[in-house]
Amino acid sequence: MAADSIAVPLPRTESRSLLLDWLCTVDHKKIGMMYIVYALIFLVIMGCEAILMRIQLARPESTFLSADAFNRLFTMHGTTGIFFVAMPILIGFGNYFVPLMIGARDMAFPRLNAFSFWMTAFGGILLYASFFTGGSLLHGGDAPAVGWFAYAPLTSPAFSPGHGTDFWNLSLLLAGIGSIGAAVNFIATVLCMRCPGMTLGKMPLFAWMNLVTGGLILVAISPLTAAQLMLMADRFLGGHFFDPAAGGQPVMWMHFFWIFGHPEVYVLIIPSFAFISEVLPVFSRKAIFGYPAMVAATAGIGFVSLGVWAHHLFTVGMPSYGNAFFVLTTMVVAVPTGIKIFNWLATMWGGKIRFATPMLFCIGFLFQFLIGGLTGVMLATAPFDWQLNNSYFVVAHFHYIIVGGILFAIFAAFYYWFPKMTGRMLSEKLGKWHFWIFVLGFHLTFDFMHVPGLLGMPRRVYTYQAGRGWGVWNMISSIGVIFQAAAILIFVYNIVHSYFRGALAGNDPWDAWTLEWATTSPPAEYNFSSVPAVRSRRPLWDIKHPEDPDWKYE
Amino acid sequence: MTSHSQSAPRGSVHDQVNLPSPTGWPVLLAVGLALIAGGVISSGYVTFLGALIAVAACVGWFRDVLPQERHVPVIVVPQEIVIVSSRRKVARMAPRGLARARLPLEIYPISAGIKGGLAGGVAMALLAMFYGVVSHRSIWYPINLLGAVVYAHVQVTAPEMEAFHIELLLVATALHITTCVLVGLLYGTLLPMLPRRPVLLGGLFAPLVWTGLLHSILSIVDPVLNQHIDWLWFLASQIAFGLVAGVVVVRQVRVPTWQYPFSVRAGVESPGMMGDGDSRD
Ligand SMILES: [Cu+2]
Repeated sequence: MAADSIAVPLPRTESRSLLLDWLCTVDHKKIGMMYIVYALIFLVIMGCEAILMRIQLARPESTFLSADAFNRLFTMHGTTGIFFVAMPILIGFGNYFVPLMIGARDMAFPRLNAFSFWMTAFGGILLYASFFTGGSLLHGGDAPAVGWFAYAPLTSPAFSPGHGTDFWNLSLLLAGIGSIGAAVNFIATVLCMRCPGMTLGKMPLFAWMNLVTGGLILVAISPLTAAQLMLMADRFLGGHFFDPAAGGQPVMWMHFFWIFGHPEVYVLIIPSFAFISEVLPVFSRKAIFGYPAMVAATAGIGFVSLGVWAHHLFTVGMPSYGNAFFVLTTMVVAVPTGIKIFNWLATMWGGKIRFATPMLFCIGFLFQFLIGGLTGVMLATAPFDWQLNNSYFVVAHFHYIIVGGILFAIFAAFYYWFPKMTGRMLSEKLGKWHFWIFVLGFHLTFDFMHVPGLLGMPRRVYTYQAGRGWGVWNMISSIGVIFQAAAILIFVYNIVHSYFRGALAGNDPWDAWTLEWATTSPPAEYNFSSVPAVRSRRPLWDIKHPEDPDWKYE
Repeated sequence: MTSHSQSAPRGSVHDQVNLPSPTGWPVLLAVGLALIAGGVISSGYVTFLGALIAVAACVGWFRDVLPQERHVPVIVVPQEIVIVSSRRKVARMAPRGLARARLPLEIYPISAGIKGGLAGGVAMALLAMFYGVVSHRSIWYPINLLGAVVYAHVQVTAPEMEAFHIELLLVATALHITTCVLVGLLYGTLLPMLPRRPVLLGGLFAPLVWTGLLHSILSIVDPVLNQHIDWLWFLASQIAFGLVAGVVVVRQVRVPTWQYPFSVRAGVESPGMMGDGDSRD
C-alpha cells in the first residue's frame, strides 16, 4: 500500500505508541477520522434510542417504556443526533478534506484542532454519564428529560429536580467550546492556507461551504452558550432569568435557543451541500453548474438563516408584524436553496451519469431534501404552523431534512471518500443494498409519519389512545425502522469489512478533479510531497486534459 | 496569503518538512475542563482537580508554542504520482471553432427586452381598455381594478369602479410599466434560450401557464379581486402582451455573447488567472 512509504520521524516503542499516537495527534486527518468514528458510534446509539421509542409508539397504549424513560430517550436522541452525530461527522469530513482540497499540509491551528475534538468528545461522554447516575438504568438513570431545546420553565429546579438538566447543559457547553474551536480553525485555514494559485474563486465549493459554516457556528453558538450560562445561574445560584414568578422570561430562552437553533440547521445542511457539490459533478462527468451562483447562494443562505429563528415561535404569540417578518424571511431562504437545487440538476443535465453508490445517495438527497424543504415552506406559513406546530408533521418534516438530506449526504461522502481515507474501496454491492434498503425504510418511517401529525398527534407523547386513527400510521413508521436498522448494519459491516479486505483504491478511483486525489490513499502525514499549485477550480482536470484545461475559461 | 507558514519553504529541498509535533496538552486541557464541568454536578473536589489539570495543561501548551512552535521534521518520500484520466474522450459542442462556449452564443441586448416589454404593455393596455368599454362602458374599469390591487381606497361598487380616479390611474400606470419592463427583460433573456418557435412559446404558451397559475391561486389569495376578473379577457390581454413583446424582441439585432469572463475582459492580473504567456485573441 502507498501508505507504507510514510517516513516515521521518531523511533517509537510499539506497545503504547498506538494509543498515545491518537491521543496526542495534531494531524488533521487523524483528528478528522476520530471525529467520524466517534460520531458513528453515537449514530448507532441514537439509532437504538429511536428503535426503543418506535417500539413504544408502534401500538396504542403500549407499556413497553415508562413515560419517564420515553422523555429521557427523545431528549437524548435529539441532543445526540444534533451535537454528537451530525456536527462531529460533518466537522470530521471538513477537517480531513479542507486542507487536502486547498493543498495545505494541515489546518491553521493543529493543536486547537485536537483540543476542539476532545472537547466535543468529552461533552458527549459527560452527557451519557447521566444514564449511570441517579435512578435505575431501566428508567434512563438521571438522563435529561427536557427535550433537545430544553424550554424554560421546565428546566427550572422546581420542574427538573436531579441533575439531568445539568448534564444536558454542561455537556453542550463543553461541546460548544469544541465547535467554536473548529469554526475558528476552518475560517483561518480556508482564508490563509490555500496553495499557490488557489484564489477564493478557484476554491472547491467544499472549502467555500465549510468557510460559511465556520462563520455560522461562530455566530450561532454564542447565544446558546449565553443562555446556558443563565440557566446555570438559575439552577445553581438562585437566579431568575427564566422564572416568570420572579419577573424572569421563559420566552427569552426560546429566543436565545432558536437564534442558535435555526442557524444550527444550516450548520448541518451547508456541509451536506458541500458533499453533494463535490460528488455530483464527478459522477455526472461535468463541472459544477453555476459556481459563482453556488457561492453566492451559500453565503445568502448563511446570512438569511440568521434572521428566521422566530418561525419556531409562531404559536407562542407574536405581534402580526413579527409573524409577517419571520414568515417572509423564512420563505426567502427558499430562493438560494432553490438556486442550489437547480444548479445541481443542471450539473447532472446532459452529463454522463454513473450510478455508483455515492451518486445514488446524492440523488436520494436531492429528492428528499426538496420534499423536506417544501414541508418546511408549508410550516413557515404562520397559520399552517398554528395548526401543526409540535405535531408529528413537524417531526416528519425535520427528519426529512436531517435523515433524508443530511444523513444521505453523509453516506454519499462515506462511499466517495472512504477510499482516500483508508486506501480501500467500500463494497459497491453492499453499498447498493445499503442504499435501497435504507431508502425503503426511510420512506416507510417518515412519509407515513406526516399523517398522524395531520390527524393531530402531538410530538413527544409517550403513548396514545386506541381509536384515534393514529395506530396504523405509527405501526408503519415503526416497521420502517427495521429496514433502516438493517441498512445501517450493512453499512457498518461494509466499513469494517472493507477496511481490512476491500479492493485497493489507488490514488484516484473516481477519476475526480480536486486536489485530495492528487496524493496517495491514504495521504502521507505531510499530505503532499511538494505543495501543489493550481490554476483552475479543477486542477486535476487541467493535468488530465492538457489540450483543453479549465483555466483558459475561468 | 497562499503560502504555508508552518511547512518547509516551498520549492526548496523536498526531502524534509516540519510538521507540528504531537502533543498531549490539548487533550489534557479538555480533560481538565470536562472535570470542571463534571464537578459542578458531582463535587467541588472534582472541579478543583479539573482546574489544576487545566492550568497545568495551559502551561504545558504555552511551552509547546512559545517562544517557538515545536516541530518534528518528517522525511518526505518522493513519489511519482501519475495523474491520468481513464476517460480520454471529451464530448463537446464545439460551435464555431470554440472548444468551449458560453451559451447561448448570441443574446439580445438589454434594450431589446425593455422595448419589447413597453410595446407589449401598450398592446395589453389597449386591449384591456377595449374590454372596459365593451363590458362596463368605461375605459377606467380595468385601470381601477389594477390600481386597487395595492391601493384599495375605492369602495367596490360598480359606479365607483367605472369612474375616473387619478390616484388609481397613477398607481396602475406605475405598476403596469414596471411589470411590463421586467417581464420584457425576462423575455429578452429567455427567448434566445428557447430552441424553436420562440414567439409561439413566449407569446402563447407562457401566458397560458401563467394565467392558469394565477387563476388557480387568486381565489385563495384575493377572493374579492378574483370576482372582478373576467378570465377570458385576462388571458387575451396576456397573450396580446406575449405576442407583441415576443415579436418586438425577436426583431432586434442579436449580439454575440462574451466568451471570456469579466475578470479577463477587465484585464485583471493575479495568480491563477489565465496567465503564463498564454496568448488569447
Ligand atoms: Cu428553524
